[in-house]
Amino acid sequence: MSLSRRDFLKMAGSSAAAMAFLSRLGQVGIANAQDVTTIAFGGWGGVAEDEGVQEAIQVFMEENPNIAVDWQHTPDAGEYDRILQTNVAAGTAPDTSFIVSDSYETYALNGILMDLTDYIENDPLFSQPDYFIQPQESNRSKVNGRWYGIGSTWVAHHIYYNAELFDAAGLTPPGFGDDEIYDWDTFVEVAKQLTMDSNGRHPDDSGFDPDNIVQWGVSWPNDWWQPVASAVYSNGGAMFNEDGLCAFDSPEAIEAFQRLSDLTHVHHVAPLASSMESLGMTNTQMIDNNRLGMAIDGSWALSWTNPSLMNVAMGTGALPKMTQPAAVMQAHFHAALASTQHPEEAWQWIRFLATPFYQQHFAKIGLWIPNQTAMLTPEGLEGWITEGIHPANYAQFAAEYLPKHGVAVSLPPGFIEATNDYLGPAYQAIGIGEPAESVLPDAVRSANEVIAANLEALM
Amino acid sequence: MTSVTKQKSFFESLAFFRWYNGLSLKRRRMILGYMFIMPFILGFIFWFLIPAVVAANLTLQKWNLITPPRYVGFENFESLFSDEILGQSLKVTFLFSAISVPLGLAFAFFLASLINSKVRGIAIFRTIYFLPSIVPAVANAILWAWLFNTEFGLINFFVRALGGPKIAWLQDPNWVMFAFVILTIWGVGNSMIIFLAGLQGIPEIYYEAADIDGAGRWAKLWYITLPVMSPVIFFNLVIGFINSFQVFVSALLITNGGPQNSTLFLVLYIYRTAFQSGKMGYAAVLSWLLFFILMGMSLLVFRYIGSRVYYENPGD
Repeated sequence: MSLSRRDFLKMAGSSAAAMAFLSRLGQVGIANAQDVTTIAFGGWGGVAEDEGVQEAIQVFMEENPNIAVDWQHTPDAGEYDRILQTNVAAGTAPDTSFIVSDSYETYALNGILMDLTDYIENDPLFSQPDYFIQPQESNRSKVNGRWYGIGSTWVAHHIYYNAELFDAAGLTPPGFGDDEIYDWDTFVEVAKQLTMDSNGRHPDDSGFDPDNIVQWGVSWPNDWWQPVASAVYSNGGAMFNEDGLCAFDSPEAIEAFQRLSDLTHVHHVAPLASSMESLGMTNTQMIDNNRLGMAIDGSWALSWTNPSLMNVAMGTGALPKMTQPAAVMQAHFHAALASTQHPEEAWQWIRFLATPFYQQHFAKIGLWIPNQTAMLTPEGLEGWITEGIHPANYAQFAAEYLPKHGVAVSLPPGFIEATNDYLGPAYQAIGIGEPAESVLPDAVRSANEVIAANLEALM
Repeated sequence: MTSVTKQKSFFESLAFFRWYNGLSLKRRRMILGYMFIMPFILGFIFWFLIPAVVAANLTLQKWNLITPPRYVGFENFESLFSDEILGQSLKVTFLFSAISVPLGLAFAFFLASLINSKVRGIAIFRTIYFLPSIVPAVANAILWAWLFNTEFGLINFFVRALGGPKIAWLQDPNWVMFAFVILTIWGVGNSMIIFLAGLQGIPEIYYEAADIDGAGRWAKLWYITLPVMSPVIFFNLVIGFINSFQVFVSALLITNGGPQNSTLFLVLYIYRTAFQSGKMGYAAVLSWLLFFILMGMSLLVFRYIGSRVYYENPGD
């Protein structure tokens, strides 16, 4: 077929116009085309998160016809952080963005996030002292006394258990009420009762074979900060001292690390650093196949480890307490970039994300736990607690346990590097049985040199 | 069809083609030639030359990507000498190269010899042994993470069935290197195919002559196959050695450098330094370090091994 130049230009022109039209359709929705400000919103997440954000954008744009939100989605959180950095470097940062909790303080201190303090203090909702769960929200969101973002939600570790194995062993499962939380010795004892070798013997039975365990008591990931820090806080320790340096070398922290390691190497109730093999068999599969009694996992895992998806009966309960109940809570932030040309519109969108509508969507599917007190009242809970997803005691976890025992932690600049180079390797060494007291002091010293150097560079 | 349309086609009407058609044959050939090599030239300029120049410039800067770069002189080079993690990373990288390259070559050569035989259905076996090398890197990583799982992995199942201990393949720093060597050797299909092509290029008359002289299997291997194959072996050695210094995807996905930095291959360390520690300048220094290591090692290999390679028709 020979094509005249005129025909070619006609076709090219009309297809370009059609594409431009189609691409605008998705962004503008019903908005009036004349004075619409488009703001870019960057973030990550799986299919459910992607859909939830798109749904929220629809609602927001109906309420705010003069603002269009352009959702720039990446599947993986770690990769997103890289993409955001490169975009900042290239001068093409989005107006608003998810910010991973590991990087939030670093970004705030480097001045790439917009200061939201005045907006928040003058807002009729957010200026109310009890709008958010406090003091946790301020603890994580404020950097040097100023707000640079608002926490998207809360997530925290708790126990997921196989109720059928508890029944079979005649054990009382843990709960979230103060009198239902296991102390450490009870926890270890229960884990032993749930652990069995191929001859049906438990760890304290004579002839128990630790090399042929077919059913494990517990799996406690010990190679990243969140689940180990929960144990440290529970033992009266802390993750950072007042100077913002890592405090995992305190006696309380060392003891907590050692207790986690002992679950595998002394009590034989936990498989070896199972989370190392995150690409291999998951906690959920192990519970579902009656191979595991209790899994310590993040609350987000409820979106795939829930009664409607499991073949066995399951339940949830609080982490055991060493000296006090504690669970580290965190989540990503929603923030506006300091480079945005549309601060007012950016704020409107960030504000919308911190209102109940947006959180409800993700709370319903078991991924999130609200950070707004209005969603934790009896009426508020009805809006998101979902039968088949949330076990019967989950409202208690969100409304009572977390506000009372949840610990919010903010991570200093250099923390990722310090973890990669020193803390991570220390967790791994303890995981395979090296004594915590011989590993942690050196690792923490080196990690703190990295953090101190990063803090100093920002002075 | 008798009527010939005189209407010019779209391309013929373009100014470029009018100009091009007016040139001499020599000119046209030259332009056409450049157009054919342009994909490589452009790729070289945009994905190698410009990034290399930018990286060279970055070696003198401190840059965390999110704030403007700052000139710091030779500070990044000084960091090389006090960086204990770099020492660990180099150790890991050299050790892996030293183990995996010779083993990989030997195994690929062995497989190539096997599938060089003339038996029925040999094409099926050739396909089977080649398949692992076209498995996508991510699928490969997930597969091996399962196989090496300490509690439930297939490999430990067999090890223990044979009376062996429960090996913490991916958690024990002493074992994890072997795990990576095994999964690398699994993917030797490419060098196997190159060896196979080399083996099939050896004229049968050499072996017939050797048979008449009463040479045994080993003598034939040593005096005929290996010398004639030496350019192929050399090629696979150089390529295998360069690849062994560039392990990234499997280390990132399976162990993320762990346990205890025992799989922190140099490229993974460069990636971390640049994008997780926010030290683009120092990462640029490390990238140039990798370049010079590879160049230096290649020169050594060419000097000491390349000179022993036998070429059938030198100068062809």
